[in-house]
Amino acid sequence: MDVEERELFAKSVGRAAAQHSGPALDAALDDLGWVDAHAADPQVAVSTLFGLQGSTNVTSSALDHVLASALGLAPGLGEGAVSVVLPHLGSWEPPARVYGGSVSVAGLATAGVAERDHALVVAERGAAVVPAAGLDLRPVHGLDPRLGLVEVTATISWTDAEVAPVPWPEAVAAGQRALAHELVGASRAMLDLARVHALERIQFGRPIASFQAVRHRLAESLVAIEAADAALAGAWDERTPFAAGVAKALAGRGARTVARHSQQVLAGIGFTTEHPLHRYVRRVHVLDRLLGDARSLTRRLGDDLLARRSLPSVLPL
Amino acid sequence: MNLGEFRPALDRWLDENTAALAPAHEHRGSLDEQMAQLAKVKRLVFDAGWMRWGWPERVGGLGGSPLLRGYLGEALTARDLVEPGIYSMTEVLAPTMIDFARPALAAAMVPRLLRGEETWCQGFSEPGTGSNLASLSCRATRTGDGWRVSGQKVWTSLAQYAQRCVLLTRTGTPESAHRGITALFVDMDSPGITVRPLETMHGVEEFSEVFFDDVAVPLDRMLGEEGQGWSVAMDLLPYERSTALWHRGAYLHRRLDRFLGAVPPGAVTAAEVGEVVQQLYAFRARSRTTQYRLAAGERLGPETSIDKILLATTEQAVFDLIGDGLAGEVVLGDDPASERLRAEFLYSRAATIYGGSAEIQRNIVARRLLDLGADR
Repeated sequence: MDVEERELFAKSVGRAAAQHSGPALDAALDDLGWVDAHAADPQVAVSTLFGLQGSTNVTSSALDHVLASALGLAPGLGEGAVSVVLPHLGSWEPPARVYGGSVSVAGLATAGVAERDHALVVAERGAAVVPAAGLDLRPVHGLDPRLGLVEVTATISWTDAEVAPVPWPEAVAAGQRALAHELVGASRAMLDLARVHALERIQFGRPIASFQAVRHRLAESLVAIEAADAALAGAWDERTPFAAGVAKALAGRGARTVARHSQQVLAGIGFTTEHPLHRYVRRVHVLDRLLGDARSLTRRLGDDLLARRSLPSVLPL
Repeated sequence: MNLGEFRPALDRWLDENTAALAPAHEHRGSLDEQMAQLAKVKRLVFDAGWMRWGWPERVGGLGGSPLLRGYLGEALTARDLVEPGIYSMTEVLAPTMIDFARPALAAAMVPRLLRGEETWCQGFSEPGTGSNLASLSCRATRTGDGWRVSGQKVWTSLAQYAQRCVLLTRTGTPESAHRGITALFVDMDSPGITVRPLETMHGVEEFSEVFFDDVAVPLDRMLGEEGQGWSVAMDLLPYERSTALWHRGAYLHRRLDRFLGAVPPGAVTAAEVGEVVQQLYAFRARSRTTQYRLAAGERLGPETSIDKILLATTEQAVFDLIGDGLAGEVVLGDDPASERLRAEFLYSRAATIYGGSAEIQRNIVARRLLDLGADR
């Protein structure tokens, strides 16, 4: 996409995200050609949409499409869309385990799974498309009811012929990049809410934005956001699981830092449901734990490097 | 010459000239030895042409993108041929000369700095002027044929080695703040200059007090116009936060890599290692974007404070990890390798102080990037 096309695309995705959420947003994205845009330029399509999902606190099934595309399907968001069963909370391992002829599934899914005919289930040795009717679904209320997450459990059987080997680490990386954009988008929205409040709220005869303790919290938040965003750009350049995991961890940890500082600056009002902050706080605490939370990703990275006893070269100039 | 051609050609040349480039001293070396090594390496890489790429032809360069300078410094630092701090002074001072000196002065002087024939220092801070740079009071008074300078500077890195100094002076009234500052390019052998080195916590006389007692500076040594010194300083600071930081990031990568090969099992946790590596990745990604913006001719500004904050935070995190993982060496070791590690650990403590403190960087982020208005 050239600059003009990209601006036009961003504008139409922005309009869709401002008006719709959930299945309605899926339909709007399908109409405006997001699936084709994703095929042509995944970085632009993913960064635009997921950044907006984060900043406007809306949901879609685009994560399913991103994962499924990386796994070799291109199901789209309309007719024939397929849910991808996500790993359970905090994990990035395949959600299914095979015991002889029986497959045990324990994971999560986006809200759309209830509407789908089929779901893609990934196990260690491969993946299969299975009827969604065979899965036990529990709509999750939980910390972030508006996200509409669904808990998936099932014991199913599949034959070897149905199972295809899939590049799971690359799919995880694609999903992590998308979620990192969503976390960065939500972080920017929280910082903006706190910034506006700091400029408007008067105490001791002056805006609280003039107090260094407040300013430095907000500055610290911007640094955390820019660090995650920079790593994310690096992860798109490199397209490795290593870089995607680093970016996801930085985005998750960064979002929690921003949530903490923003909530502190917004103080009482930011602790009420009258102010939108709580929605973002809830959202980032859940998104941090999808496809690997910052803590677990960081520990695994450290384990790998301690075993390797050297630091890989990354991001050449 | 583009980076794709430059990188393998330089790497090959560095491999072929390992013996000639190697330091004469073992281990870290004294500052005198490091300075001698720096001069030698700069001369060799200048004469072979590498040091000239990325600089304009009118100052003895060969043109081409500043990315070439970024890679050269990275390659020299990653091979431990130069100490990044003293090497990168060039990246801070040469661009300022090119932007503000009379063309003839820049053409005469910059090649000497690039070739390692000269060392330059940066006379900004004063005893009463640290973070509040605009309050400086080192006075320059106009005479018939130039300026007379009287006053004091402090924390002036490498002043005892320097042939020249980029000096900020007060030429307006004491109340003129940033409007009444003029930048001068001063010969350090001028009568009336006294340099008194200060020993740092890591045992190096890295910076000095510099006293000016009625020092004559010719008129043509002005950088920019009278009263433009603040612009000179503001122009210089983003350079301090671009290529020089990239080099420092390469040095941290090398230190962390070496640490991973040396750390005893169980000395640090996986979580600690992982987080430091993530921080370094974020810094490198950020700084890399900055290098490309510089190469595209973009004007760098307050957003480089983010780069500086990330680097300073990462540098301390890297050496906190090393200090914990190799505590025996850092705390008790008296062999040269341990002394080097200890010096680097101690020097990292200053990363949030020099070049604009952590607090000043956050003030810049709050004021200029978040647009939070004045802080009082």
